[in-house]
Amino acid sequence: MNPLTPLNPPATRTRPRSGARLRAAAVALAAGALVLSACSSGGGGGGNGGGKDEGPGADKNKASNYSIGTKADSTGPAPEVPGAKKGGTVGVLQRDAFQHLDPGQIYYSDMLANQMLYNRSLTSYKFDDQGKVKLVGDLATDAGASSDGGKTWTFTLKDGIRFEDGSPITSQDVRWGIERLYASFETEGPQYIPQWLSGDGTAFRKALPDGPYKGKHLPSSVLDTPDDKTIVFHFLAPHADAPFATAMPNIGPVKAAKDTQQKYDNAPFSTGPYKVADYKNGKSLTLVRNDQWDPKTDPIRHQYADRFEISVGHQFPDSTRRFLADQGSDKNTMSYTNAVAPEMTQKVLDQPDTKSRRFLEIQPYVDYISFNMDRLKDVKVRKALAYAMPNGQILQQMGGAPAGTIATNYLSPAMDGYKPTDPYGKKAKPAGDTDRARQLLKEAGKEGQEIVFAYANTDTWQKVAVVITQALERAGFKVQKKEIDANTYRSAIAEVKNKFDIYRSSWGADWPVSSTVVPPLFDGRQIADGGQNYGHLDDPAVNKEIDRINAIPDVKKAAPEWQKLADKIFTDDVPGVPTFYNNQFSLWGSNLGGVRYQPVYGVADPTGVYVK
Amino acid sequence: MLRFLARRSLGALVIILLISAITFLLFFALPSQPALMSCGKNCTPDAIAVINKNLGLDQPVPVQYWHYMTGIFMGRDFSVGHCPAPCFGYSFSNQQPVWGTIVDRFPTTLSITLGGAAAFLVVGVGIGMLAAAFRGTWVDKFFSSLSLVGNALQIYFVGVVALAVLVSGLHWMDNPAYYPITRNPGKWFMGMLIPWLVLSIIFIANYSRMTRSQMIEQLGEDHVRTAKAKGLSRRTVFFRYAWRGAMAPIVTIFGIDLGSLFGGAIITEFTFSLHGLGRLAVSSVNETDLPTLMAVMLVGCTAIVVANIVVDAAYALIDPRVRLA
Repeated sequence: MNPLTPLNPPATRTRPRSGARLRAAAVALAAGALVLSACSSGGGGGGNGGGKDEGPGADKNKASNYSIGTKADSTGPAPEVPGAKKGGTVGVLQRDAFQHLDPGQIYYSDMLANQMLYNRSLTSYKFDDQGKVKLVGDLATDAGASSDGGKTWTFTLKDGIRFEDGSPITSQDVRWGIERLYASFETEGPQYIPQWLSGDGTAFRKALPDGPYKGKHLPSSVLDTPDDKTIVFHFLAPHADAPFATAMPNIGPVKAAKDTQQKYDNAPFSTGPYKVADYKNGKSLTLVRNDQWDPKTDPIRHQYADRFEISVGHQFPDSTRRFLADQGSDKNTMSYTNAVAPEMTQKVLDQPDTKSRRFLEIQPYVDYISFNMDRLKDVKVRKALAYAMPNGQILQQMGGAPAGTIATNYLSPAMDGYKPTDPYGKKAKPAGDTDRARQLLKEAGKEGQEIVFAYANTDTWQKVAVVITQALERAGFKVQKKEIDANTYRSAIAEVKNKFDIYRSSWGADWPVSSTVVPPLFDGRQIADGGQNYGHLDDPAVNKEIDRINAIPDVKKAAPEWQKLADKIFTDDVPGVPTFYNNQFSLWGSNLGGVRYQPVYGVADPTGVYVK
Repeated sequence: MLRFLARRSLGALVIILLISAITFLLFFALPSQPALMSCGKNCTPDAIAVINKNLGLDQPVPVQYWHYMTGIFMGRDFSVGHCPAPCFGYSFSNQQPVWGTIVDRFPTTLSITLGGAAAFLVVGVGIGMLAAAFRGTWVDKFFSSLSLVGNALQIYFVGVVALAVLVSGLHWMDNPAYYPITRNPGKWFMGMLIPWLVLSIIFIANYSRMTRSQMIEQLGEDHVRTAKAKGLSRRTVFFRYAWRGAMAPIVTIFGIDLGSLFGGAIITEFTFSLHGLGRLAVSSVNETDLPTLMAVMLVGCTAIVVANIVVDAAYALIDPRVRLA
């Protein structure tokens, strides 16, 4: 499994997948105060999440909302967006430059959103206004068929799918797209499929060290393309969630003749409704209609606007100001990931006309305080910590309700199978249950227990550290604060032999199945320097249960089991406490329609956007 | 004059060469690992080796410097392709020769700099002269206090206020943006107007105060008194005698300001979401894109040195004594 949301300083919290998070700190160092505002925490105002008070996006993240689509669901065209018109130019304002356009290198949310316009993979997510998400075939006719107990997966390509030059997309192109992930320069994308095919870690690269570039290919016993339409994956072990892994942007076709290797990052060859017309790295990207894209083959995307003009370098206050002023070309402008600037939240909420052009939704990212079980061996102490943790106050320091939602258990509401369990009563006592904590500590005979609390030395975390320290000391702990440089924070806490008792960690799932959450966070066999099991939980019963659930061939049946296991770990082992779920608060120009929340990537979806 | 210019240019060349060598060495003295930093989170030792080889980082530093400098004039071949002259290196973060990016960004910086500098020079010196001419009157007091206020302000404050008022509030102007002057001079002018305005508010203060004090000093000089005594008109005395003398130090300061603006008005670019050399410098620090950073620094240094030569020439025109120096 890959580390998905390494610990970003809160500076870039609204885009936890952002690879720019460490770099943001570097810029701050380089350019001083000027960029501090650039990296100040995002998140925005109060909610209009479906008009419900109980929490933004609450409706859109029910377990029943996730399903695997049928062949009919996978057939295009996508349902028309009511009122949509053709024509016009959609502007997109983004804070950070895209690090990659090459679908093979894409992992972070801004680029995930962007690639939806020009790149198609074998499968993808189709969702409606109610937030019901279906995993459907995108280039494939359906979400794939498994055999051999889930070790073999077969996908069939649709008819009429073409590259931007009109040449048909064949299984050979998909093979090329996957085999190039083995090349040494393809380092930044998710590696589930290559690892499942050829071995964990970086071992898979040995199967095809040069990628497909020197004439070698994976044997058909690993990746088979018996005809132009069929792709067969032969995994080393069963993977029930393979159709989710094939929805990552890098599991799609790349035309060999157009594969410029590293330079492909500047000129990806389109399979989607738009193609690259002009790209100035670090500045702007213009996408224009791809006339070879056939809507009848695409169950997800539209091609309403003539062009997308994406411009980067817009800090959150700048984009928010433009959307609020809503004049000139800014009326036709949106952002994939820029959040409403916190200082402008109230203004946005007070301006009535923004009501129809904003959303506030829960992202699939969770913040935790991990407890180092190698040092805190008494479970009563860990439980006391979990009770004492002031989730509400922590969230307040992060920007309040617009920035997140109080977390009550380990899984994000964005996960399939999520249940709003609350074993430590966080909803009722957001400031922490001091009495209960004090009592537990007394029972353990550990009153006055010293806690070494490590956190990154960012502005936000210095504030958060104060509320955590106060809450823990109220409950009878003695807290020793340890500030760590934000650039090295993650590697410091990811050291197994670290000298801290509690520390902040965070995690985002790659797809809404908890097999991408529970094993990396809580499997004792995954404890390693740089790993994600920050609490160092190594419980044979838990490990066994993980294996059992992983082997359930039906993802839907596994989903509630993951929630049960996560709750059991939270109640019995307590390797940490979840603090809040991240939110995305987006605003856009009044002349755009069809802007929706994409719940899997946690971004504003551009594929159905039209100019009014 | 020609000899003066030739001498200055030769000196400038030596300075630029020295700066290039120092900058180059500085990067290697730093504990940075460009290969690792451009490799991403799934990095392998193999990948680092590939990047090292591609960047030429496995060769001795002087050899790398030699290749870099010759590449500027003759072009270079990388394993990823040919980089035509002027080759300022190949950016592995952008996957293209650096020069293309510089050429793309420089016009924005040039526009900000020349327009802004023209505005603050003309208005600043104008205000200073007015204040000097009407010394002690309300005009003087008004402009003096105004420049004091201007001096206390910062671009990231004035810029944001200007955007909030002129663009979002009154809807008088569009958001600042760069349009090529060759394609649409009107749009170029309007797009740059707010940055110029804001830059001049910040800089005017210094220029007006300096002009005022220089003018007052000059107006008290013997040669000005003599000119007055000769019966020359007030205007002639003011402009031909006093002003000319007052300008020399101002031109010197202007050269320095102009040069640093050429290097990239980082804060201005961030405030107005413009993409000039300043932002490029910051993003290349950010991405440990050493080739791009080197090129930006070299272009910036060259601009400063060239601006100084131009200013020296202007200085020589204003004050003939300088040529002898």
